[in-house]
Amino acid sequence: MGFEQDYKGFQDYYEARRLNVRILVIQALLGAVLVVYLLAFWYLQVVKVDHYRRLSDSNRLRRVTIMPLRGVIKDSENRVLANSRIAFNIRLDREKVPEMQAFLPRLAGILGIPETTLRERLAKYRGRPAFEPVILKEDVDLAEAAYIESRRLELPMLSVEVESRRNYLYGPLAAHALGYVGEVSEDQIKADPSAAYDLGEIVGKAGVEKQYDSGLKGVKGWKQVVVNSFGREIQEIEEGRKSNPGRALRLSIDLDLQRALEEAYADEAGSAVFLDPHSGAVLAMISRPAFDSNVFSRRFSQDTWEGLVRDPRHPLQNRVSLSKFAPGSVFKVVMSIAALEEGIATPARTDHCTGSWRFGDKTFQCWAIRKGGHGYLRMREAIIQSCNVYFYRLGNEMGIDRISKWAHRFGFGEPTGIDLPHEEAGTVPDPEWKKRANPRDPVWHPGETISVSIGQGALEVTPIQMAVFAAAIGNGGTLYRPHLVLSREVREGVEEDEHQDYVVRRVDLKAKTLEVIKDAMWGVVNDEGTGGRARIAGRDICAKTGTAQVFKASRDVDADKLPKERRDHAWFVGFAPRDDPKIAWAVFVQNGGHGGTTAAPIARAVLERFFGKEDARTGVQQLASVAVSQ
Amino acid sequence: MPAWRYLNNFDWILFLAILAACSVGLAVIYSATTGTPSSGAFHRQMIWLGLGLVLMVLALLIDYHTLAEFSYVFYGIGLLLLALTLIFGRVVNASKSWLGVGGMQFQPSELAKVATILVLAAYMGRERVRGLGVIHFAAICALIGLPVLLIMKQPDLGTAVTFAPLFAGVVFVGGIRVRTLLILAVIATLALPLSWGHLKPYQKERVKTFLEPTRDPKGSGYQLIQSLIAVGSGGVMGKGFLSGTQGQLQFLPEQHTDFVFAVLAEERGFIGAFLALGLYFAIIYRCLATARAARDRLGVFLAIGVVCVFAGQALLNIGVVVGLLPTTGVPLPLMSYGGSSLASTLLGMGLVLNVWMRRLVN
Repeated sequence: MGFEQDYKGFQDYYEARRLNVRILVIQALLGAVLVVYLLAFWYLQVVKVDHYRRLSDSNRLRRVTIMPLRGVIKDSENRVLANSRIAFNIRLDREKVPEMQAFLPRLAGILGIPETTLRERLAKYRGRPAFEPVILKEDVDLAEAAYIESRRLELPMLSVEVESRRNYLYGPLAAHALGYVGEVSEDQIKADPSAAYDLGEIVGKAGVEKQYDSGLKGVKGWKQVVVNSFGREIQEIEEGRKSNPGRALRLSIDLDLQRALEEAYADEAGSAVFLDPHSGAVLAMISRPAFDSNVFSRRFSQDTWEGLVRDPRHPLQNRVSLSKFAPGSVFKVVMSIAALEEGIATPARTDHCTGSWRFGDKTFQCWAIRKGGHGYLRMREAIIQSCNVYFYRLGNEMGIDRISKWAHRFGFGEPTGIDLPHEEAGTVPDPEWKKRANPRDPVWHPGETISVSIGQGALEVTPIQMAVFAAAIGNGGTLYRPHLVLSREVREGVEEDEHQDYVVRRVDLKAKTLEVIKDAMWGVVNDEGTGGRARIAGRDICAKTGTAQVFKASRDVDADKLPKERRDHAWFVGFAPRDDPKIAWAVFVQNGGHGGTTAAPIARAVLERFFGKEDARTGVQQLASVAVSQ
Repeated sequence: MPAWRYLNNFDWILFLAILAACSVGLAVIYSATTGTPSSGAFHRQMIWLGLGLVLMVLALLIDYHTLAEFSYVFYGIGLLLLALTLIFGRVVNASKSWLGVGGMQFQPSELAKVATILVLAAYMGRERVRGLGVIHFAAICALIGLPVLLIMKQPDLGTAVTFAPLFAGVVFVGGIRVRTLLILAVIATLALPLSWGHLKPYQKERVKTFLEPTRDPKGSGYQLIQSLIAVGSGGVMGKGFLSGTQGQLQFLPEQHTDFVFAVLAEERGFIGAFLALGLYFAIIYRCLATARAARDRLGVFLAIGVVCVFAGQALLNIGVVVGLLPTTGVPLPLMSYGGSSLASTLLGMGLVLNVWMRRLVN
């Protein structure tokens, strides 16, 4: 009360009015602003409501992809080679750990993982949203998963994640045929926008897994979920579309033959492929060194993977279709056919081998030079003994154009069309090719024809081409496109055979030519030829050995005493039995020395298994027919 | 004068409007924070509301003339606290604006605001001026400038800006000549490009973003875009209590502080926004009525000071929410979460109620 006198009232009526007027001005001003604000709300909430509703929905709704189960891969007798299995991963919810540093030692004890490893795994998630779980241990067994699950109260931060994982039941068996799967790469996503790949989606990366990926991977489904601003799923609101599981694939590979091949191949490097000579179906194939496809399905496999990529022996390369080498003496079969068909020679053509042949200013040797040559030979003996001199002269008479024409007819120099992601074409040299390939020395020298005549020089073929060639001789001249898939699942549970015409071309051959060639190849194995180690009594195995030169050995050096990496590559190519063959093959052993020494026994092991199975089958049939007739 | 007469003259409309705004604010804070890391906000705001109401009652019981007599003391204490904040303050979001007393944190700038209103009213109440002389003008500038400088030093631009409407209101009602007003306007316009160079990079960013929000939708434009989506998607009827997706799923940043009105508009729609705006206008209107009905110059300037700060903050905040103004970080008085702001607003409103209650000369 006492202080009122200090404060002035209004001077007069005018002063009070003047103040009043200015207050009313403020009031009007604020009123106007209020109207503007109301209009703004009207505009946003009534006029543009649909626009903002849409924006709000796209904020909170996310489409989440549901991944389908990948299709099963089976062998020709429906034995599963690759499937998807359930894997358990142990995850850590970092939000539920109050003090990470203090918790780590205990965690290390529970999971049996060193603390440093845990730290490394956690470090990778630094900067990711805290609600995103960290996978600490993958693919644990059921007992460990159950252990963690039963301690949810005590250890709320640990949980078990269930995911589907590609599983190759036999590890590295047929690794290059099957291939492997992995997360889709950024390049793949960019290269094929129509596939609508999701980030981190599992796709086939090699082998049939890649070639038949579209069927194997199935059809993705999706659901809509509500997420918050950090991307955490709050609830699921609708299932848009169920996923369709991937379609099964039945391969022509026979697990029994494949196993026999893997076993016989032991620790050698190289490749081998066995075909059905009447269809081109691959019965077994191997490429060594190999890898375990399961490695790529694992998450913590970076080191293993990098090891495989950097390995100087290139274990990831499929040597059946990607490695190309000189065919060596196997090419003498092509030479013989060409000479017979072109009328350059008859089977009776006789030549005399003294161990070498001087042509121009060069001397071309025969491998039998140390024993003074092969002496007099006819064509059959020349093939069986694999005499070089015989074919040097034959090639010289025939000329490179005819040689290359027949090599091309049998599929050399072009991809076979096998259903694998990549394939090499190889090289069949001729003057045209040389002009293109060697601009510095574009002229074809006659000496080069001599080299090509015994399968050396610039000639390069792949093992699969060799197998297709062997099958063509066996079946009377038909070139088939080799393939791995017998049938595909088209609807759930319904399989359909691949109705494709696998015939690439039919090469017309005189009956006499075939008879001579087959007889000579039979002799290679059964008549004291270079392939005697593949002989199986009563099976009439026909084949040709070959050596691709790695290092030009002087005549004084014993080839078997050379260090392994300087030894020649060994070929063993053929079919069996001679009449109406059931199987054709090409076995290639890198640094294997002579084809008859290392490659022939491998083929023999597979053939024994093959004929063993066939006998069992026909035996059962005979028993059955006997039972019926009685 | 007997106490019952004061009670008879109590402005119930203003009082109830304030309580209503506080209740709406509490409800929105509850909705905006349930299930988020700041879910304790609702209870803390309740406690501050109780404290603020006690302060308001204190401010209206003591005759405003008595309060004005001690205004320089309050003003001095306010400046001292601001100075102490600069020395001992707690750093939050790169600015030192918080002072802790016995476990409780508060912003001295909010207290200084009320003290400045009081001291300005006391100064203007004593002078009997036609028009505003240079000395008066300088005095007003000094009284406002001191706390503003200290607050800018923190730096807390948002709170400093709320002194601008106070300055404008007091100068205008104080009787500045229209001619002087125009000259000041011209100077301000000329100074604008110059001041651009003195703005901090983040402040420039805010202005640029306001002019073109889609320039950087994930960065500085994010708040504005998300706020517009929240308001717009609310529609006429709103998405319902606790059902606003923008707020509940935390797409809206600062959903319980600076963007509390966006949450309200999303969950309650245009109708809710309309009613809330009406509530604010009712409060502003009653304060202005108090200014016109005051029995002396002190009462007029007290009410004008409070209403200018209040209206300035409210319009600044809501203007940001609907995209009419650039982001400033000014809380919405009575509704935004924040104890110091709520308490100081209630304290100011107590002064206005005080003036209305004592508007009649014996």
